[in-house]
Amino acid sequence: MTTALAPARPQTGVGRTTFVALAAREMRRFVVNPVFLFAVVITAWWTWAGRGTAVADIGLVNAFTAIFLGGFGMMATFWLTRSMRASDPVVGVTPVTLPARTAALCAVAIVPFGCGCLALIAFLHFHSASDPAYGAFSPSARIAVVAGQIVVPSLGGPLLGVALGRWVRFPGAALVLFLVLWSWVSLVTVVSGSHPDSAPVAVLRLFAGFTFFALHSDAGGVTAWRGSPWFFLGWQLALCAIAVLVALLRGAEGRVRTRIIRALAIAGVAALVMLVLAAAGGFTHPVTA
Amino acid sequence: MVTASISLRGVGRTFGATRALAGVDLDLKPGVTGLLGPNGAGKTTLLRLLATALPPTQGRVSVLGLDPEVPAERTNIRRQLGYQPQEVGFPRGFTAFAFVDYIALLKEWTEPAARHAEVRRVLDLVGLSDLGAKRIRAMSGGQRRRVALAQALLGSPAVLILDEPTTGVDPEQRVTLRTVLAELARTSIVVLSTHQTEDVAALCERVIVLERGRVRYDGPVTELTGQAAGRVWLADEPDPAAKVSWRTGTGRYRNVGARMRDDVEHVEPSLEDAYLLLRGGSPEHEVAS
Repeated sequence: MTTALAPARPQTGVGRTTFVALAAREMRRFVVNPVFLFAVVITAWWTWAGRGTAVADIGLVNAFTAIFLGGFGMMATFWLTRSMRASDPVVGVTPVTLPARTAALCAVAIVPFGCGCLALIAFLHFHSASDPAYGAFSPSARIAVVAGQIVVPSLGGPLLGVALGRWVRFPGAALVLFLVLWSWVSLVTVVSGSHPDSAPVAVLRLFAGFTFFALHSDAGGVTAWRGSPWFFLGWQLALCAIAVLVALLRGAEGRVRTRIIRALAIAGVAALVMLVLAAAGGFTHPVTA
Repeated sequence: MVTASISLRGVGRTFGATRALAGVDLDLKPGVTGLLGPNGAGKTTLLRLLATALPPTQGRVSVLGLDPEVPAERTNIRRQLGYQPQEVGFPRGFTAFAFVDYIALLKEWTEPAARHAEVRRVLDLVGLSDLGAKRIRAMSGGQRRRVALAQALLGSPAVLILDEPTTGVDPEQRVTLRTVLAELARTSIVVLSTHQTEDVAALCERVIVLERGRVRYDGPVTELTGQAAGRVWLADEPDPAAKVSWRTGTGRYRNVGARMRDDVEHVEPSLEDAYLLLRGGSPEHEVAS
């Protein structure tokens, strides 16, 4: 054992360099998370198994991708965010501030987002956008529907997990939130099925991170519901921004805190506008094709 | 050349209705300063203040000429700070190397080769070079404390704050750690809190005794020990005149009393004797066997 002290001083890499290195480290920890690995494997298997199979409506297929990459991704980032909590007395007195560490954790969402993009490409490859299972939407709106059902939940779920991990101490919070969101989407989908013409029900259906835009019935083919898939995409992205900002708010001080609160207000207004436009746009009544 | 220093002026800290520190004035220069005091005396609170983990509710703290209340200055302090808290939790699945490496990254060691070399160096300093690949959860309590100490030693910081660093560490390692800390204290401010008076006697040139959040003694270790000269004696029975008595390994009783006595067999006082004398033995006369 050596007891001599080397004249060591940190090779200080400021700001961006530290952030990139930390984000890369967190990504490495995230990709080996068993929950996330399971989500990726099951999504890949589900997508591959569904190739060449006729689907009744696309939402039923895409919900699984949202559940696995989005929901399980949320649980994985929640765990990742909480994993250093026990070491807070040490981690908390390092030069990297809590918001900077949170930002590095948010950057991890690039991984499930990338997986979501690959899942989207695979889905479009196996289920062409001209398939009747998409409903009566225009070709561009069909892309917006699948992007909103596959890609954005894959990004938003993990970001929500980081925000939750920063603010909630309860270890099972991510699982509880996952069940609440799943129950909410199920509930509003059932209500939408029985009240497809109702504008308030359409708002409730769109007031979620994931929604169904079309429903297949054995009697009348695929019915496309009210609402604009493009503005719904905007609403989802605004929710993602809110999740990031809420996560960053923890431990933010001074001018940074003020800026985050200001940005939160802007994102909140943007989300509200997008929700209203999503509910008001698109089909004004259910269209069955 | 500017000498590194820490100063506290009228520093107080309350937790709700509990006053942990009150009116603390201190100046700390390079060297090892020991912090003694009973449980609940405010030692950990004082160390957390010095480590910028906690702001004071009264008074001013200056570390290396910087104000920890100002976020940018606090970050600069943290760049030159090593802190080993009393209790450190470790993330699940981390090896000793991975944990110290993660903290090194948070201390802005972004260049991998330099960072890994530094991590190996500090693990070697605490005698864990062979256990770097071992999971921390599988380590003994003493080994875990050494992992916590290793991260504090990263970059040979200008300010090293250690809260009971030798608890659970075997005697051989304690001697080695004393050597490491003594070497570091040539240029750095080292403050260590401990219940092991022999560590303070062996390592510190200065000792601060806290009691109920106030500084009871602040001065050289030799001076405090000297205060007990002529007040420690051996006898066959516990002496009613002594403040504290305990049975030693020889079967005789070591007595520590407030008044000088000539008619007894005096022995060389230790820092522990002086500390007990300063504290008045304990709230009441105490005989330990």
